[in-house]
Amino acid sequence: MVITPIHYIIVPLIAAFAIPLISKIHKELYRIVPGIVMFYNIIISFVLMKEVNEVGYISEIIAGWEAPWGINLIITPFSGFLVSLISVLGFLIWLYQYRFKKVIDVGEIKSYGIMQMLMITGAIGIIITGDIFNLFVFMEIVAITAVSLTSFYRGRDGAEAGFKYLLIGSFASAMVLLAILILYTQVGTLNMAEISERMHLVPQGIKATILILFIVGFGIEAELFPLNGWAPDAYSQAPGPTSAAFAGIVVKAGIYGLIRIIFTLFDIDGAFDFLIIAGLVTMIIAEFSAVKQTNLKRMLAYSSIGQMGLVLIAFGIGTKEAVFAALFLMFNHAIIKSLLFMTGSILMYNSKDKTILSIHGIAKKLPYVSILFAIGSFAIVGLPPFSGFWSKLYILTAAANKEMILLIIAILAVSIVEIVYYFRVVSKLYFAEDTEHIEIFKPSINSLIAMGVLAITIIVIGVYPDLITGYLHNAADMLLDKTSYIKFVLNNNVQIQ
Amino acid sequence: MNIFFLIILIFFSGAILSFIINKIAPKFSGITTFITIAVVVFLFFTQIEINSITQFSLGGIQMQFGVNNYTYIFAILVLGLSLLASLYSIKYMQNNDRLGYFYSNFILTVTGMLGIIFSRDFISFFIFWEIMTWSSYLIVLYNGKHSSKSGMKYMIFSAIGAYAMLTAIVSIKGSYGTFIISDAIQQGAFNFSENIYIPIMLLIGFAVKAALMPLHVWAPNAYSKSPMSFTSIFSGAMSKMGILGMGLVLASVYSQTTNDNTFSVLVLKQVLGWLGGITAVMATIYALIQTDAKKLLAYSSVAQLGYIIVGLSTGTKLGVMAALFLAVIHAVFKGALFMVAGAVEKQVGTTDMTKISGLIRKMPFTFFTALVSIIALAGIPPLGGFVGKWMLYEALITESNNYFLVIVIFFSSTAAFLYSYRFLFGLFLGQEEKETEHVKEAPVTMIIPMVILALILIVTGAYPGILFEPIAHGMHYLGFSDVNWDMSVLVNVWGEESNMAYINLSIGVVFVVVFLFLTIKGYKGTKNVGTKDISTSGEIPTENENLTFQLDFFKPFERAAAPLYKRSMDKIWNDLGNALEAIFDFTRRIYTGNGQTYALFVIIFLVILLIFKNTLFTN
Amino acid sequence: MEDLGLKIFGAILTTILGFVVGMTYGGIVRKLTARVQNRYGPPFYQNFLDLLKLQFKKTNIAHGFMGHMAPVWIIIAAVTVLMFIPILNGHLWFPNLSFHGDLIFLLYMMVFGSLGMALGAGQTGNPNSAIGVTRGLSQMVGYEIPFVLSLVALMIQYKTTSVQDLTQIQHETGVWLAVANPFAFLAALMASLGMFRYSPFDIVGAPAELASGPVSEFGGKYLGTMMSGGAIFSFIKLTLYVHLFLGGAGNPEKTGIIAILIGLGILLIKTFILYMVPVFYGWINPRYRTEQAIRYFWGWPTALGIIGVLWAVY
Repeated sequence: MVITPIHYIIVPLIAAFAIPLISKIHKELYRIVPGIVMFYNIIISFVLMKEVNEVGYISEIIAGWEAPWGINLIITPFSGFLVSLISVLGFLIWLYQYRFKKVIDVGEIKSYGIMQMLMITGAIGIIITGDIFNLFVFMEIVAITAVSLTSFYRGRDGAEAGFKYLLIGSFASAMVLLAILILYTQVGTLNMAEISERMHLVPQGIKATILILFIVGFGIEAELFPLNGWAPDAYSQAPGPTSAAFAGIVVKAGIYGLIRIIFTLFDIDGAFDFLIIAGLVTMIIAEFSAVKQTNLKRMLAYSSIGQMGLVLIAFGIGTKEAVFAALFLMFNHAIIKSLLFMTGSILMYNSKDKTILSIHGIAKKLPYVSILFAIGSFAIVGLPPFSGFWSKLYILTAAANKEMILLIIAILAVSIVEIVYYFRVVSKLYFAEDTEHIEIFKPSINSLIAMGVLAITIIVIGVYPDLITGYLHNAADMLLDKTSYIKFVLNNNVQIQ
Repeated sequence: MNIFFLIILIFFSGAILSFIINKIAPKFSGITTFITIAVVVFLFFTQIEINSITQFSLGGIQMQFGVNNYTYIFAILVLGLSLLASLYSIKYMQNNDRLGYFYSNFILTVTGMLGIIFSRDFISFFIFWEIMTWSSYLIVLYNGKHSSKSGMKYMIFSAIGAYAMLTAIVSIKGSYGTFIISDAIQQGAFNFSENIYIPIMLLIGFAVKAALMPLHVWAPNAYSKSPMSFTSIFSGAMSKMGILGMGLVLASVYSQTTNDNTFSVLVLKQVLGWLGGITAVMATIYALIQTDAKKLLAYSSVAQLGYIIVGLSTGTKLGVMAALFLAVIHAVFKGALFMVAGAVEKQVGTTDMTKISGLIRKMPFTFFTALVSIIALAGIPPLGGFVGKWMLYEALITESNNYFLVIVIFFSSTAAFLYSYRFLFGLFLGQEEKETEHVKEAPVTMIIPMVILALILIVTGAYPGILFEPIAHGMHYLGFSDVNWDMSVLVNVWGEESNMAYINLSIGVVFVVVFLFLTIKGYKGTKNVGTKDISTSGEIPTENENLTFQLDFFKPFERAAAPLYKRSMDKIWNDLGNALEAIFDFTRRIYTGNGQTYALFVIIFLVILLIFKNTLFTN
Repeated sequence: MEDLGLKIFGAILTTILGFVVGMTYGGIVRKLTARVQNRYGPPFYQNFLDLLKLQFKKTNIAHGFMGHMAPVWIIIAAVTVLMFIPILNGHLWFPNLSFHGDLIFLLYMMVFGSLGMALGAGQTGNPNSAIGVTRGLSQMVGYEIPFVLSLVALMIQYKTTSVQDLTQIQHETGVWLAVANPFAFLAALMASLGMFRYSPFDIVGAPAELASGPVSEFGGKYLGTMMSGGAIFSFIKLTLYVHLFLGGAGNPEKTGIIAILIGLGILLIKTFILYMVPVFYGWINPRYRTEQAIRYFWGWPTALGIIGVLWAVY
């Protein structure tokens, strides 16, 4: 069987419909099948990335309609990189949640695995599609599944968080849809490559309006301030694995959308400055807010928002090395924040009232989880020799090359704030008077493996970043090389071997 | 395999190994650490050639490892002290929990320090710097819940320093396109007329580790709260990493002084010198009111680092030499003193001087070490400490013409006699009370490193040339040509000398004569009595009468110097911290938790963007 | 070897000279003080008698190792410092080691004895001793400041840190440094009040309050040895002052025996006059508390010292 990009979409969709049926055979299949799908995603990514490295681009035309008329899926080093990342992460999250007690207990287990899988599929779809309306559709898939996962625990808090997400998420959909509509009236096409080619025809004012609508729409998913009010609630109320998926996967898709729009579709210089400012504000406010949080998962959520701000800053700098750094940071954030949410959720499940205070001194009872959390904390604040350091370094170097000293100082000042709240938790985990814990909820072995793999990745990349910098450089080159992207999509459509 | 990588690898595997061994046999964790460091010490001194360079690339960045004459001084210091401290640690840490945690971080800290010494480029320098920082932070936390606040303070200040340094590093890359330290220096990265903030940022970064005022507030707590076997390298060696960096930056700043930046360099010298001086004074007067011996030593470390920075700030040959000499000597005596405090803590259970006294008969070797180290610390001839102090004063008076700074330094080092005495008296002298009757001398593996350090102090007092030789080479590397030194004669630029050989001769001869005279004469008639056999106003105290004098030891001085105690840097920083917390609390409230507000945010944001779309998004 | 023999002879002679002069001055002051207080007072050689008595005591009380070492340290400090200061300017008999150490060294070496004393006193376990020591050390921080200020003033005024050179300069120019830099001299003079520990700065020993402070537990050979050390020390301080400020004594051009005796005579006269300053001051002043003493030294003397340094710079 030839593996093509469409497998990313088709296989999970088929599985989603098939699972309820085949699960009649054995109940366990509810949980196992998504895992198989996720694993298959990894295989697809592996094969496609190898191909991309040789060929440069892969494009698949759906239903025989060639671009710009038909819908096509495009794998470039850039999108391929993100998709592979999401695939691997998706599998690890599945591994983590497999036999996750708190999920099983609730009983809605049938929907859980499927929705998680669909959410990931949606995120992948956002990234690989070459068609802007299709992008909107995938975004909707993500939003709907994410909202229902947020309110998975049927409590008051979960429902409230889910509702907020739904409220704000519908804004996002409306904005994006509106933007697409206006855009279509102007350029008459939905293919992104072609839109990009015809963009110069659009009058300046309308162009800016469209961009603003896109920014607001995708900004909500990308957790841009002040559009990110839904995020802390959603992150903290969602089940542990879902929080990890939000941080590692959903946000990445949102960022991808924003970046794709700004880098490929538009050529407005002001947008880059806007990214820097918006990113900076997002980062500062989120990190400041994180300090005073009493709920660990909320704290992680704010930290996640802050990191996204930093990613946007890096993209906003706009040079090749800055984009490279931004991609590196996205990669790091995906693995590190997933690890933190995975461990943090387990810690939270062991606390009486979900506060940091009630997990003091828990390291004695949960040594592995605690040390994994500590590694994650060290990595996220950017201490060497963990992977977080390198991305921070590259961002700073990129900023320094453009002589943005104040920006560097702001980023580093915020990093100090980050150190404060992360290390406060870590030190309390290990060296604080024990508080009363509820019955200890120990992670299962597969959860530990998933988290261990992430931790090892963090350390290995931290010690030897060259393992990944090559891919990242390719991806960064690709993102900035708009013309060859357009040329490829529009002229060279026969790429399926 | 390349020797540098091999050493780093041995260290990392040692760290992991000692962690694992602790799970199997906790006893051997310390021994593993000692062996690891011993192997590295052996490799370092047999295999490494000075000035050899190893090139490699990591993460697309060119990096270099190598040891030059300047860093070699610090290598001796770090490795020597770490070896002794790890030997000391075996018994000191025995029976403690989490030994694996302690020892692996111990090794990582040493790795960090040695890595800094190896690094010839800023990135690996920074990486090792951070490794050193966080591993030492973890050890500060080791002593449990009481130390988490001091640990946090340490980490925050270290982060401020490290990030100031990182800002400078990436700016160098931005402006000069290189991360290699020597290239950057050659291209004038530290030239004041080219840019002023790169060297300043770097200096801030290093000053944090060197505990320079006003960035010193972390030090007293962090030093006193960590286990003593670690503090001896924490204060002895790690603070010297700050000195290493400062020396490097300042030497380049000085050597690249040209006509158009003379003034700014002068200002830098004065500011740095005075900061160092004020650090020394303030830390000293705070040291002498401490009742905990560990805290006293911690403050004293800060004060001593102040002298070193003063020495560096002069930028003259003698001054820099004094600074480097003091750096080495301080490592030796402060390492020894923290070990002494640790030995007392181990044997008695506390280092609170109001609780213990009169240990001299019980712990004679420990006392010997303490005595020798304190003499060196106070700078009294004929030990090594004096040599450093002498050079420092002479440099200030004869070369840099900073006369009032001399007075400040002198005030601080005279006041240092007070806490020196306080330390010796508080722990070892005074009444022998019942509570300390059971105390025995520390185990032999703790005594050996202490006594070795004490002997080093005695030898360097007589033959400071042993240390002058590497220091002179190091200074040559820094760009000071024709550094003169003699095995045991100290000379200033005006030609006056202090001849350590004659001084020692005189002291030695008189010592032998008088000692023999006093001991032999009336030997039989001499009665040795305990400390309860004293007369107080004609009364003879009974067994149970407590005559220990430990509280309010220097109250008169405190009263006299009351204005100096009024302002505390800690308070200023605390206020700043509280203000920041208030800001954090305020930003947290932006997220109201109300869905309607969030929706409103979205709309407002959209509207604002649409209003300003023409200014924001133009081509 | 002949040279070495001469040197040893010179060193011993210097020590004896310092000892005798110091003891005698002490005796004279006791007598004078008694007369001022309308007592008869002991004879001027009483100190020697006291010393002999102490040294011939049959039983001695030792309070442990540091107590045993304290007198040794005091003598070490006293003799070593004595070796490193010039007794007579350019003298052939006993230049001793005065070319091999400078003022900074002397400053620090002088503390050596106090520290030994303090440690010895500490080990006796008598709280009075320890209290006395803390007072003494605190007071030292007080008077060292003006003293060092005045020394720094001299050093920078004449670009030398050697006592020998400073004396030589006075000999050559014929101007006493007390005149050349009066502020430094005044500061040093006021500092010397604290150094000699006569009233009002006798809080350390404070009879009737602390027994006799640090030395209260010492007796017999220990106290005797300490007394000898103390005597040498007062001679040292006086000689140092004379050489620094009062033109020194001796003439390097004339080395005959008569010239030497004249030189010694001048030295004795100058030192005695200088010695009377703290004594006189003490007769008319009651005892200060420690903090008052410290404040005293940080007041006018320090201000004068600073003026002295500024005087030297400009």
